[in-house]
Amino acid sequence: MSHGDSFKGRRFVLAEFETSDALLESTTTLREKGFKKLDTHTPYPVHGIEEALGLGRPFIPKIVLCFAVLGIITAYSMIHYMNVIDWPINVANRPIHAPPANIPITFELAVLFGGCSSFFGVMFLMRLPKLYHPVFQSDRFCEKASVDGFFLSVEMPHDGDAVAVQAAIKDLGASHIEVIDEVER
Amino acid sequence: MLSGHKDTLDPRPFIEGEQTDKSLNDSLLHHVLRGAGKGWWTLFTIALCLLSVLGVSLGWTLYKGIGAWGNNQPVSWGFGIINFVWWIGIGHAGTLISAILLLFQQRWRTSINRFAEAMTLFAVMCALIFPVMHTGRPWYAIYFLMPYPSVNAIWPQFKSPLMWDVFAVSTYFTISLLFWFLGLVPDLASLRDSAKSKTKKFVYGLFALGWRGSGRHWAEYKWAYLLLAGLSTPLVLSVHSIVSFDFAVSVMPGWHTTIFPPYFVAGAIFSGFAMVITWLVPARHYLGLKHVVTMRHLENMNKVILATGMMVTYGYAMEHFIAWYSGSPYEFGMFFHTRQRGPASGIYWLMVFCNCVAPQFYWFKSLRTNLKFMWIVSIFVNIGMWCERFIIVVTSLHQDYLPSSWGDFSPTVTDVGLYIGTIGLFSTLFLLFMKFIPAVALTEIKELRHELEHEAHAEQGGHAAGGAH
Repeated sequence: MSHGDSFKGRRFVLAEFETSDALLESTTTLREKGFKKLDTHTPYPVHGIEEALGLGRPFIPKIVLCFAVLGIITAYSMIHYMNVIDWPINVANRPIHAPPANIPITFELAVLFGGCSSFFGVMFLMRLPKLYHPVFQSDRFCEKASVDGFFLSVEMPHDGDAVAVQAAIKDLGASHIEVIDEVER
Repeated sequence: MLSGHKDTLDPRPFIEGEQTDKSLNDSLLHHVLRGAGKGWWTLFTIALCLLSVLGVSLGWTLYKGIGAWGNNQPVSWGFGIINFVWWIGIGHAGTLISAILLLFQQRWRTSINRFAEAMTLFAVMCALIFPVMHTGRPWYAIYFLMPYPSVNAIWPQFKSPLMWDVFAVSTYFTISLLFWFLGLVPDLASLRDSAKSKTKKFVYGLFALGWRGSGRHWAEYKWAYLLLAGLSTPLVLSVHSIVSFDFAVSVMPGWHTTIFPPYFVAGAIFSGFAMVITWLVPARHYLGLKHVVTMRHLENMNKVILATGMMVTYGYAMEHFIAWYSGSPYEFGMFFHTRQRGPASGIYWLMVFCNCVAPQFYWFKSLRTNLKFMWIVSIFVNIGMWCERFIIVVTSLHQDYLPSSWGDFSPTVTDVGLYIGTIGLFSTLFLLFMKFIPAVALTEIKELRHELEHEAHAEQGGHAAGGAH
């Protein structure tokens, strides 16, 4: 590496637990002990993970609501501008502005905007796609985290005291512990 | 014990055998990671042959123009609309299973939702070909489908149900695709980590978007998935309602009825579930999915087919009743003369047999749990629902009010070629799907197994506590 010394990657302590219950308990304990930047890695959503990590209410519903309302406004104003203001089409003297006829498209655009914001919004909140993450440096993680492993990761600066964290996790009964130093890519 | 949780009404397990996360992972990804067998290549070759029929028919339609179709005056809507409605309807079962059954917390959906959602996507793709092609020269026609400032200085007429259709179907496709892909991301991560070859690891890794099962991700992800389900639920009901408005908003005898939206939605779900059975019965055998797609799942689907078949039958009965009760001679003539005794009466009675009579056998448990029998009934339902769309589209148009303006309809070779061709497109896409993507939502199955295990433990704990009293 040309400028290897200037690169200061993060350091992770990665621990594996036998069961999801052990993972949940350990996460809660570590968080209550004051450890920051905890994360869990499980093959499927484990019930109670939000409480264990101390997460608040999810943010995505707010995004979706805003975009669904934006969809309603967009659709109705688009139809109104095009069919009433810019180029009214008078068919047999029926009302130019007919709200019932606008309902279907207004509804569809609310769903379209809301649905797209749900997908792209959650991708933004998760900061994905991002193909690289230091936890992937662990072979064990790559083999098991998406299959049947329950992992806990603690992030710290590159010179963080991994020993203290390792000791704390060992007490909690982790089946496997390793320290990952982020390498430059 | 995995299957320890007993439902009083149906004690059969959702997942058969003693399974672990690892065993589910291996068994459900096996069909993707193994090489393609002779059977797959045979089917794929047949599908490609049918797909080439689509290519030729599309090419001929574009070269010759819309005159290559059998549409005429007075039957200005022919095979194009029949096939469009048929395919869109088939797609609806996928959204019902993935979204509505999710909101109703129906656990049996988990084994079949990925499969059915894929079916939705491919069916909508097939459906979209027809409205796009029926414009003749699609590249000139786009201005009245999409609101953009064209040189014609004219906007679409938003009071037309055909415009609603454009928005409904394009929204439906987009949302179904996003919903499907969002559910797929964790499974693609499992595939990335389970694959042995570097190419597979790379490609699946690319589509897995760097998923690492983070708890912080799951917290938002679960909600995003649920919100998409919540949005898809009214969406799927709206799509076929709006498709039915294409007919119901007109004043043709046989079309101008208020029962159309619910009756179309029921028919859509009816035909969609039949198509799922048609594909799933062989697929669960060849892909090795029998332990997650059990007889319980198939039987539940057959019950839905029975229920929606009864709704469709009720729809037919109501149409006929109102035709008589309205006192309109045109309505009466349409239902009791033209359809039952007119030139297309054979198709009418085939429709009645396939949609009203055939599902009635499902009252018997021995028949609705018989694999061969359910496969045959599903084919009948597919045919019956196509006949229904033929009857609705053609009979109302070919003999409307004035006998002097009556006409006849017969499809051309191009019409038939387009229809067979879309079946080829659907089959090709489906076979590719079953080769490259896990056909069962692996992550959700693991989660279900985990939940069932916890419930079984809780129940055993409860029994132990109860015994101490």
